[in-house]
Amino acid sequence: MSPFVRSSRFGTFFWPILAWVLALLFFFPIFWMVLTSFKTDADAVKPEFLFFFTPTLENYFNMTENYDYWRFAINSGITSVFATLFTLSVGVPAAYAMAFNPSRHTKDILVWMLSTKMLPAAAVLYPMTFLTKNMLGLFDTHFLVILVLSLINLPIVIWMLFTYFKEIPKEIIEAGKMDGVSFWGEMGDIVLPLAWGGLASTALLCFIFCWNEAYWTVRLTTTDAATLSKLIEGNRAPEGLFFGRLSAVSTAAVGPIVVLGWFCQKQLVRGLTFGAVK
Amino acid sequence: MSNRTLPRLLQTPAVVLLLMWMLVPLSMTLFFSFIRYVLNNLRRPEWTSPDIANWRGFGNYEYVLYQAKDFWFAVQNSLFIVGSVIFLTVVFGLAIAVLVNRTFPGRGIVRVLFISPFFVMPAVNAVLWINMILDPVLGLNGLAIEGINNTISTLQNLPGIGSFFALWPEIEPLSFRATQTSAYAVIIMVTWQWTPFAALIFMTSLQSEDQQQKEAAILDGAGVWAQFMHLTLPHLARPIAIVVMIQAIFHLSLYAEIEIVSRGNGNKNLPYLIGEFASNNIGAASATGIMAVILANIVAIFLLRIIGKSLMD
Repeated sequence: MSPFVRSSRFGTFFWPILAWVLALLFFFPIFWMVLTSFKTDADAVKPEFLFFFTPTLENYFNMTENYDYWRFAINSGITSVFATLFTLSVGVPAAYAMAFNPSRHTKDILVWMLSTKMLPAAAVLYPMTFLTKNMLGLFDTHFLVILVLSLINLPIVIWMLFTYFKEIPKEIIEAGKMDGVSFWGEMGDIVLPLAWGGLASTALLCFIFCWNEAYWTVRLTTTDAATLSKLIEGNRAPEGLFFGRLSAVSTAAVGPIVVLGWFCQKQLVRGLTFGAVK
Repeated sequence: MSNRTLPRLLQTPAVVLLLMWMLVPLSMTLFFSFIRYVLNNLRRPEWTSPDIANWRGFGNYEYVLYQAKDFWFAVQNSLFIVGSVIFLTVVFGLAIAVLVNRTFPGRGIVRVLFISPFFVMPAVNAVLWINMILDPVLGLNGLAIEGINNTISTLQNLPGIGSFFALWPEIEPLSFRATQTSAYAVIIMVTWQWTPFAALIFMTSLQSEDQQQKEAAILDGAGVWAQFMHLTLPHLARPIAIVVMIQAIFHLSLYAEIEIVSRGNGNKNLPYLIGEFASNNIGAASATGIMAVILANIVAIFLLRIIGKSLMD
């Protein structure tokens, strides 16, 4: 900020302090969850152990026993990784073609793709159940979860990639064409290395969205392909008995993702506003 | 291969996949919404399979609109939740963005702290808030009220000045599991999760604010508030519009939070109502679904227009 916008001495101290206080308040629920995960179930609901207690790792050691955590975590991992890979393998060529060889319809196609994201999922809940359960036999399979996660994230991924590709100067491509580089060479040797950062953050964001998804993963699975969202949803009301162990399993479920999120917060804006705010 | 064909081929898989994803289930919903279709009915077993012979016209829509008692409540509640969340996130998001838009020690950490809630999975968000924070007995809500009550009763028992506090009432902790209050709980947790989203977008946008204009305003003696109202807010008009509409679309299909906080207590929104209908009356569920699609589309048209405009800049 420019030196002109220096307010009073009061302001230079007050506003940063307010920002810090608010930030800590916002972070508090997460901090509280992590803190509670180190308490025993009994201690977790006692007011006298609110902040001072004997920390224990018991909840983390017993995650498998209490909740079968790893089975759900592995399902989440498998479905999110493969959905991300599949989305990218379909999305990269599409975004590439639209950014570098736009036609009259490119804009309409992009907007239409985005509009599929805006359909309320609940509207097609029963047909999806019907199709996958009665007709295709895909209900509660990893394949189905991967497919659905890919489809719901495909528009966002294409849009993000499109905005990254658009930033690559056309001249570089033209120069490549002059030198007789083939289409594939152009894509593999010129564009993708330049867009590497954008590609990585798109993949990261797609992975996060897949991991956190909580409608289809809950409604289209029962046990075999059930993800962490399903696990947590199934333990929605511990009635105060299991705050400690539930916090541990929640922390394990969101911790890595929150940390990953810190690394792609700048790219998040692009992904979430579809390039409309830069 | 010609210059045109290859790009088209590259787009084809994405277009075909999304086309199928959009058309197949949605046309099934449309079809189901016009027939009598229930999962269990012993007296009329012919209604239990989707068949054109069970054509009902707009009967399901009439049933949902005029007879099912929850539809209007669900619409109203959806709008209440979405409206409250949007209002709160925009206000908090603006405040945070303006606060963080200056250099101070630890600004990077403050940003990271603010953004974190957005990455918490919705299921964990709901379970965490409704149990460990908002629970009237064992959550922080309950513990805080209990602490206040204990302090009051200690004061009342003090010799001499105790009588001074005699009329102070005992505070009842608010339960967030009743129909109306659980809607508040949902609003609180979703606001917590989405304020970072609004803040992040406003922060990004503030960085492109015209500083010279601002300096000129300061030289002209404009106060902080006047600067905000006449320069910052107009500059943020488009980001605000985008935040409002994106959230409207996302929150109209809010589900996990309602399912976790409100299952069975009567608080419901449209997606939750559809889920309830879908346990038996598929016709009604589909009709409600089609109406939810129409509602979402009204918002989506405006949003897509803004985004489409900025697309080719």
